[in-house]
Amino acid sequence: MTNSPLTESRGARWALLTVGIVFLALFLLLPLVAVFAEALGQGLGTYLDAIAEPDALAAIRLTLLVAAISVPLNVVFGIAAAWSITKFDFPGKSLVISLIDLPFSVSPVVAGLIYVLLFGAQGWWGEWLAAHDVQIIFAVPGIVLATIFVTFPFVARELIPLMAEQGRDDEEAALSLGASGWQTFRRVTLPNIRWGLLYGVLLCNARAMGEFGAVSVVSGHIRGKTNTMPLHVEILYNEYNFAAAFAVASLLALLALVTLVLKSVLEWRYDYQGKGNGH
Amino acid sequence: MSIRLDRISKRFGDFAALRDVSLEARPGEFLALLGPSGSGKTTLLRIMAGLEFPDAGTVSFDDQDVTGLKVADRGVGFVFQHYALFKHMTIADNIAFGLSVRKRRNRPPRAEIAARVRELLELVQLDGLGGRYPAQLSGGQRQRVALARALAVDPKLLLLDEPFGALDAKVRKDLRRWLRALHDRMGLTSIFVTHDQEEALELADRVVVMDHGVIEQVALPKEVYEEPASAFVFDFVGASNRVPVTVADGRVTFGGRVIDAPVAEIGADGPAELFFRPHDSVLAAGGEAGALEATVTLVRPRDGRLHVEAEMAGDDRPIELLAPADALVAPGRAITFRPTRARLFRPR
Repeated sequence: MTNSPLTESRGARWALLTVGIVFLALFLLLPLVAVFAEALGQGLGTYLDAIAEPDALAAIRLTLLVAAISVPLNVVFGIAAAWSITKFDFPGKSLVISLIDLPFSVSPVVAGLIYVLLFGAQGWWGEWLAAHDVQIIFAVPGIVLATIFVTFPFVARELIPLMAEQGRDDEEAALSLGASGWQTFRRVTLPNIRWGLLYGVLLCNARAMGEFGAVSVVSGHIRGKTNTMPLHVEILYNEYNFAAAFAVASLLALLALVTLVLKSVLEWRYDYQGKGNGH
Repeated sequence: MSIRLDRISKRFGDFAALRDVSLEARPGEFLALLGPSGSGKTTLLRIMAGLEFPDAGTVSFDDQDVTGLKVADRGVGFVFQHYALFKHMTIADNIAFGLSVRKRRNRPPRAEIAARVRELLELVQLDGLGGRYPAQLSGGQRQRVALARALAVDPKLLLLDEPFGALDAKVRKDLRRWLRALHDRMGLTSIFVTHDQEEALELADRVVVMDHGVIEQVALPKEVYEEPASAFVFDFVGASNRVPVTVADGRVTFGGRVIDAPVAEIGADGPAELFFRPHDSVLAAGGEAGALEATVTLVRPRDGRLHVEAEMAGDDRPIELLAPADALVAPGRAITFRPTRARLFRPR
């Protein structure tokens, strides 16, 4: 700070810093503390009971299941998309890049509605699905589809700039030494992108577990069956069951904290790698 | 191994990178592809490697058509401009890569690979550094690792893309000689791309000068310098002067005056360009008939002589001349000079 070319006076600097910290504390830290305070307000016993309650456990299980399906799929999609965009030239490339960003720019509710429109009882393919006894909307497949849609950009967006910067030289070198496409990917490309990939997976996972809007539209809110954790929290809250609502919410908050810590560790690692200080 | 390119053409969108290029390299030859950026030299090298495929034309190795073969199946060693070392692998693992990705039945046993790596490390004078990572090496060392990695798979053809481009001048010179010695010892056929004419003339058996997707000249270094085939080659290789002249009645004129131009063939009347090297000129006495006149702008001592830059009325390109150390030249003074050896080229 002392060598900074910025010439703000010491007072101004402190004032800015204070505003920043107060803002952070008020809008980010305080709610987080409040969640845990409310959750544990009526004692640890109530807290554990609320989590161990069958509907809550079902919601946790469903959330983990949805993440376990959608995150790996998005890893595969994300790598494939980033690979084809950065390593090949094809017409319509910029259109594909814009499409990948679509889930970021569209409201999650709209995303959910699209799936209802396609797969719902009155939807385009509703009749066919009903005839073949396939249930997508108000069931797990719908929740997984909506989650995949919402979390699609995370892995791809993380990898595209990274792979673009790394170029094609390493892959071409591997190929020129006789490696197959798969060997090149596993032994050269994957190690080159591993930190960025982990980072993307982390963010993708946090969003997959925390998604509310899109999932809410397609879930149907069937207790113990199609409620994920965020939906379960809402139901408990609407039933004035605050302690239980906050108990489940605290698990989501915990997930956020763990994600943050891991993210910081990865950023540090990433940075270290980026500076080319070796291994 | 011999390599033959037959009528190769390649476009990237609207840009014609190569236009109907044919070239042959003899077994054991060290060939330089020389040209400015955008001349198509790197594209030509990548087509030989199988990293790029031509729109038309064929590539043959030892009279076998390999045009459709991918890089992995061509058995060439390719050294990338920025080395493309695998930064998460040790130097030893980098060098062993080509052997370790072979199918099981062709893969040498582990001990044999390790022995081969040691041998190659010794060859590129990096004994004992096998356990390090690329980031821990200097630019020159990385370059040699890239070379060892390419040589590990016993290629018969070695292709190098601007092999010395990213190195500082001193390292570049040492590595150049070392690479030439290595080439001769291993009996390879090598082709390298460079934009540095000094490098091409010093290192190569023959030089291929390229511009705008076509080959301007293929010749021995001495011939490229002394008998340039075109105005472009004369200008690109070595220091040169270009004077816009007019041929009238079989005589060369500049600014309406007939000048002494020691050229072999004058050719038809019309506009032309007179080229000569700075060392192929002499200062003349003032007012001598047929000499050119100029005003000195800069004088610098160089190798025991004076390097003189001058401007001629009616030509905005500065003229470079070499004068004896005791010549009476100074900025602002008028001089007269005569080329002693020159070439005339017609505008295309």
